[in-house]
This record gives sequence, structure tokens and C-alpha cells, in this order.
Amino acid sequence: MHAGTATHDTHDASSHIHPPPEGFIAKYVFSLDHKVIGFQYFFTGVFILMIAGSFAELIRIQLVDPNGAIMSHSVYNSMFTMHGTAMVWLVLIPLVTGAIGNFVMPLQIGARDVAFPWLNMISFWIFPVAAVILFSSLLFGSPHAGWTEYPPVSLQDGTAGALWCMAIFVIGISSTMTGLNFMVTIIKMRAPGMTWTRMPLFVWATFATALMNMIATVALSAAVGALFLEHVFNVPFFDPSRGGSAVLFQHMFWFYSHPAVYIFILPAFGIISEVLPTFARKPIFGYKMIAFSSMAIAILGFTVWMHHMFPSGVAPWLQIPFMILTLAIGIPTGIKIFSWIATLWGGRIHYTTSMLYALGFLIAFTFGGITGVILASVPVDLHMHGTYFVVGHFHYVVAGGAVMGFFAAIPYWYPKATGRLMSEKLAKLGFWLFFIGLNGTFLPMHWLGMEGMPRRYASYAYFAKAFPDAVFWNRFETVFSFFMVASVGVMVFNLVWSLKHGKPAGINPWGARTLEWTISSPPPYYNFKHIPEVYDRPYNFDKPLPYGNLDNVVDVYPKFGEIVMPSPVPEPVGAGH
Amino acid sequence: MTTAEAPGPPQVPVKGLGPGFWQVTAVLTVLSLINAWYFLFGNIDWLMPGSAHPVADRTYDIDGLFKFCAVFGNAIFIYVAGYVIYFAIIFRARSDDPPGAIGVQIHDAPKLEIWWTAIPTLLLVVLTVLTINVWYKIYFGTGAPALTTEVIGHQFYFEFRYPGMKASVFSKTEPMHLPVGVPVRILLTSADVLHQFWVPEIRLKLATVPGLVQSMNFTPIRTGTFDIACSEFCGPDHSVMQGKLIIEPVSDFQKWIVAENKAAAANAGKLDLSTGDAGIGKTDFAAKCASCHINPPAPFDQKLVGPGLLHITDDPAHPKLVDGKAPTPADIAEILQKGYTGPIGTMPNAAGNGLSSADISNLTAYLVSLK
Repeated sequence: MHAGTATHDTHDASSHIHPPPEGFIAKYVFSLDHKVIGFQYFFTGVFILMIAGSFAELIRIQLVDPNGAIMSHSVYNSMFTMHGTAMVWLVLIPLVTGAIGNFVMPLQIGARDVAFPWLNMISFWIFPVAAVILFSSLLFGSPHAGWTEYPPVSLQDGTAGALWCMAIFVIGISSTMTGLNFMVTIIKMRAPGMTWTRMPLFVWATFATALMNMIATVALSAAVGALFLEHVFNVPFFDPSRGGSAVLFQHMFWFYSHPAVYIFILPAFGIISEVLPTFARKPIFGYKMIAFSSMAIAILGFTVWMHHMFPSGVAPWLQIPFMILTLAIGIPTGIKIFSWIATLWGGRIHYTTSMLYALGFLIAFTFGGITGVILASVPVDLHMHGTYFVVGHFHYVVAGGAVMGFFAAIPYWYPKATGRLMSEKLAKLGFWLFFIGLNGTFLPMHWLGMEGMPRRYASYAYFAKAFPDAVFWNRFETVFSFFMVASVGVMVFNLVWSLKHGKPAGINPWGARTLEWTISSPPPYYNFKHIPEVYDRPYNFDKPLPYGNLDNVVDVYPKFGEIVMPSPVPEPVGAGH
Repeated sequence: MTTAEAPGPPQVPVKGLGPGFWQVTAVLTVLSLINAWYFLFGNIDWLMPGSAHPVADRTYDIDGLFKFCAVFGNAIFIYVAGYVIYFAIIFRARSDDPPGAIGVQIHDAPKLEIWWTAIPTLLLVVLTVLTINVWYKIYFGTGAPALTTEVIGHQFYFEFRYPGMKASVFSKTEPMHLPVGVPVRILLTSADVLHQFWVPEIRLKLATVPGLVQSMNFTPIRTGTFDIACSEFCGPDHSVMQGKLIIEPVSDFQKWIVAENKAAAANAGKLDLSTGDAGIGKTDFAAKCASCHINPPAPFDQKLVGPGLLHITDDPAHPKLVDGKAPTPADIAEILQKGYTGPIGTMPNAAGNGLSSADISNLTAYLVSLK
């Protein structure tokens, strides 16, 4: 397809646009269209989000009673294992990279598809296969050792443990291929004139994510591959009683799984960097700093994994460099936060649902980031490690960061994807339910953990004896966790309801300035009839749109709330040739 | 792009840093100072148990670090959240804005960016220095230990041993004892899977890793009874894997050691190997040993959890159990009595395996009979 150096002549689309796919299967099942693949990721991911979320609710209900309200220890252990595993690999990563990344990134760089559409299709179809393998492990007794599945205890999971390894190995292949695909797409397929420093920030974030996906996932595949061999063929990699090393697995696991945290938080950073300038009607503050800090985080993210293992059996002196690197990663993250706040300053802020999620993200993610710095200090971590403080910390980062970023993206790009706006009333209700539920559920975990409540406890009778308040706070958390359930319910209802009843969106309902807002909603299957030209960064609201060769007549100074109806979808060029 | 000369959208100017900026900053500063005052001078026992009356020397050091983090971390959070909310309110779009109004078009402010990079960096450098100081104390700062104890994690209990003192405590029921004011070293390992040994009031936490011995050093400085919790997932009953730690005056501790030694000696005295019945021993072996040793007994190198026990008195591999000599019946009985920790693995003592003196003599007779 196109190289970035295309000249005006090659913008004549007729030689490049293939006829549209025909038939249900080619269009919607084994589609090669990045947008349809994005929807497929979205539906599958949101469906698994509901399953994994209901596991979380079972966990919360169990803890209403210090002796455990509804489940045996063993069932509880399998619930938090499946919750964590499904949320990390089957919900967060597929949703923020697979769904949002696939739909938005090629549109933002002015491309007609990703570099390798077949690979993209295969990457997607591997994902439900991994999901089926993972959930089928429930039939074989389920894995129990938490989403980290540390051996040797995970070796007691038998067949279910082997299935867990298989599922993670398979989804890892999907991640690696998507990473490769996105890297090549961003490097090679940007519209002419879109230099690196003219790329939208979501594209920068996707690039950093793709780099991590491509490099880090291999270590995970090695770790779970070896664990699989130990399960099935009894090869003693990790069982110390037969000469293996229990700590080795943790090194390999976290070499991936720490970057994994950034794999789902960086796209959220990218989403926030798009939403904030659009609704504050201001250029993003410190474009280069935000772009480069994404890359700094991606690179530093590979060098901090051992902070998950301070008490696990590592050389004491080795803790110090890993602590320093962990603290260092706080600096680019802080720069981003401060730049986002400065973006708000002096803006004209429109309170759309996406903006509310972005503001909520700033508050919740900052809190999660600060507790992360606290955990980086080795001696403090020796106290906090393995407690509810850690659970509170990472849920603020993941639910308050990655999930809220994703929830900001939904109402933002829904009109582009469907041609209709989501109901703002319902979406705002969803935001408040989520934000209140998030804080009510995860904030008390911090003091419970500091007081001494370890995580992964199916019952906490001994702890409740020492700290009678623990029962109150656990019930409090359970009540508020249902606010988040309600929020997801409202969101799913809204997604369906607005398909039919939403107001027509037009080309650019938000007055946003990236390239996807210059084509009709929903975009034609080839995205751009003419590959656009790019003259500048997208975020200068006082200047005309920096694009040439656009398909549609668009408002050169897009205004918020002024709907530009799409020109009729052009006939697919080349269809008749 | 012929429309470039169209008039740009109206920018809404801001006076100074915005209406009420300095007042809001003052409020946030006061809140930060209240937070700092609370963490420095208030009672945070409800957050960090035993903070007001530290249980060990390291409690004090770690709480100091935590307070530093809480003072500055919460301050940063207060400013960030405060400005986000304040800017969101004060810079909201208004109904009387000119149509298409946009914000102030600024792209960066290098001086400001240098400040907000430098200040957090400086704070992190200070945190690093403070941390290294405490870290050094934790790993290298407790003088030569006057008492070394051993903690062995099992699914799902902690076993406590006092090398050289005969007493081997089994924590399913028995608490761990430590004397106050004496530098102790706890050596930790595991018999099966990963566990973590954690007394929240002491703050320190260390994994018990099979095949690895780690050490934890501190000096208890206050007496009391504390919970020990396993904080690394270790299997179905992880959540009921607790123990008790009793920190007591040295005199009480010595009394306890003497009593334990006496009890052990009394128990050993009852043991009469001549009354052992190999037939009953065979039944006992199937009931009480077969979960870790292959039954019927197999050669030494056929390992289940523990080694095979066939030909125990003449298999050349077996003397490894007892300092290179062929084990005598008394050696076998002693291992059954006291348990074993060594290169081959870890076996609980008689109390842990639920063995009476009669069981020990019967099992010894049975194992010796396998020639």
C-alpha cells in the first residue's frame, strides 16, 4: 500500500482501493477491515469484561463475612485467579490496543488500513480461542494461584494450570503480532507530511505500546511455555525439590507483566491526550514532552520489574538499582500529569462524558501513581507487599487509569464508529456511578492493607479479631463495588440504545482536529478516498485544520457542538473497474 | 486550503493566572500543611499498627520513610486534584461565550516545565537517600545476632526451630517466642511452596522460598503477642495460615526454652526402641509416611517428597542423613522425633507428623527390618 513519501499523483485513489468485501463472512467475521476488527475486539472484550467483573463481585460478596460468606476457599481462589487473568489479558490489553488502537490509529495517521490486514485478522481470531481455553479450565478445576500463577504452588493446579499456560501463550502470540503490525503501520503508513512530531498523541502512545507488546510478550511466552512443560511433561524448571528455581519464574513473568501495566496505561494516556485538548479547546500543553515521555516510560518500563519481588528472594543490593529506576519512571509520568493540568488552564472546558472521565482519570491516576512511588521504596514495600494496599494501588492505576481512559474513549469515538452520538445523560450517570464506585471500593483497601490484611485471603477472621473495623470497611467496599457494576450496565445499555436512538453525529460532533474527524461517520470501508496531506500538528485551535486533499468539505475551524453532516459516502472507487 | 484566510475563532483571555488562583493555592497549601502536621505529629496507629510504640527497631525506621512519603505524596495529590477541580470549574465554557470560543493558545512554558520536573526529581532523590539509609540498617545494621531461629513454611503453617536448643516448635498450635532487646536473626525457608513470613507490627516481610535460605534481622524492643500472617498465596488454605509471635522478657524466654527442652527430654526418655513392632510399623508407615515417602519403601533415589526408605541402614546413599555414618536405629528414631532439615529436604518433627513414642519405635523397627 502507501509509503509515507507518496506524491500528489498517487493520491488518485482509484489504483489503490479494492472493491468492498461482499457477503456476511467476509464483511463481519473474517474481515480484513481494521475498523470491523476493532469492533470485534470491542464486543469480545466488553463481553469478557462482564464475566470477569462478575467474578470480582463474587469476590466482594465473599468478603462481606470475615469467615467467607458464600464460597469455599478453593472456589474463592479460582475466582480471583480468573478475575485477574481475564481482566489483564482478555479485557484490558485487547480493549485498549485491539479495539481502540485498531479503530482509531489508522484513521489518525490517514491510512486505509493497517500494514498487514491478514495478520490483524489472525491476531483477533486468536483472542477468542485463548478466551475459550482459559474459561474451559474452569471445567478442569480452575487455576488457583492468582493471575501471577507462581510456581511451585501453581504446579498443584494440574490440568487447569496447564490450560492457563496455554491460554496465556496463545493470547501472547496475538499481542506480539498486533504489536508488530502497529509498529510497521505507524512507521510506514503515515499520510504524507505527517512527520513524527506531527502525529496525534494517541498514535505516539500506540507506537510505544506496540514496541512493548512486541518485545516484552516474548518473555511471558517463555515463562508460561516453561511452566506448561513442567505441568505436562514434568520438566523441573521451577520446582526446587527437583532442582528448579522458584524465583526464576517471577523474573520472567514480571519482565513481561510490568511492561504489561504500561501496555494498557499508555493507550489510556493517549486517549486522555486527545480528549483534553478537544474539550478544553486548547493545544495540548508540551506536545513533545508528552510524546517523548511515552517513549521514556516504554523503555524504562523494561527495567523495573524486580520491584514486584523485593521480599521474594533476591539479592539485597539488587533492590536499590531497581528502586531508583522505579522512582525514575515517576518523572516522565509526572511530566505528563502536569502537562495535562496545564492543558486545562485557560481553556473553555466542555463537560462531555469523555471530558468527565478524563478529569476523573487525572485525579484517580495521580493517586495510584503516588501510592506506586510509596511502594517503590524498598523498606516500605517490605511492609506493604502482598497486602490490600497493593490491591488498592493497582486498581487505582488500572480501573482509575486504564479503564477510565477506555471509558473516555467510548463516547468520544462512538459517533465516529456508528454515526450517532451516545446519550450524554446516560453516559454521565455511568461516569458518576463509576467514579464513586471506584473510590468507595478501592480507597479503604489502602488502610486495610497497612493495618495488615494480606491479599488473596478467602477469609480474614483472625484479622477482623485484631481490627474489628475491617468488617465494616469490607462491607463498605462491597456496596460501592456494585456502583461500578451499575455503571457498566448503564454503559452497555447506552451502547445499544444509542445505535438506534442517538442523535446523528455528523462528521465532527466534538470540533476535534485529528484526521478521523474529516471523514464521514461511520467511515467508508477504505477510510480515505484521497490520502490526506498533513502540514502541522493537529491541536492548534486558532489555526485552520492543517490538512490538504481532504475527501469532505469540513469546517476549517471546527467548533464544538456544530454538527457538520457527512457528505454522502462516496462510491467505492475502483469497484467498477 | 483556500479557506486559510477565514477569521480564526475568538480566544477567551485570562487575567493573570485566573480568578482566585492564589487564594486556591493558599487553601491547597494549608491542606498540605495540615496533612504534614498530621503525619508528623498525629497518631497514625490506625494506619500503621504499633506506630506509636514500635515493636522492633526497624518499625521506627520504616514508619519514618512512610511518613516522608505520606507528607509529600499527599501534598502532590492535594495540589493535583485541587488544580484539576479548580481549573475545570473556572475555565468551563459558558453560555455567553462567543460562538466557537477557544481557550488561550499556549503550547508550552519551558521555565515552568523545568520546575515541575526538577522539584519531583529532587523529592525522589531525597526519598532514595532516605531509603538507602533504612535499607542498609535492615540488611546490614543489626549487629551480630544473639539468637538465631529458623522459620519453615509449610502448607499451611509455620514451623519454628531453635537450633542448638533442642526445642522445635510447631506452630499449628504453638506460638513462636522471641526475647525482647536481643538482636535476632530469623532464617527462613520453605518445605513446599512459596509463603511469606510477616508480622505487621514489625513491618519486615520475607518470602520463605523452597531451596533458598533467607535471613531477616531485627531487635524486638517491646513485649506483646502478635499475629504472624502468610502473605504470599500458598494454596487452598492460604487465608488461615497464621501463627502467633510472643515477644517476652529474656528471663521468660529462657524459662520457656528450659521447659521445652525438658519436655523434649521427657518425651525422648519414654522412647523404648526394644518394644518396636515391625508389623504395626508397616501399617503406620502406610498411614502416616506414605504421603511423602513411596510406599512400599523404594530405593533412596526414588523421591516423592522425601527420599525412598528401602534398605535404610545399608544403602550407601542413606548415610548422608547422619554425618556420613550408616544410621543406627537410634539415629532413625531421632530423625522421626526431631524432624529433619538439610540438603535432602525438610521433614516435620514427631508432633507435626502426629507420631507418638510408640509409633516411633514401631516405625524404626519396621524400617530397620527392611534389609
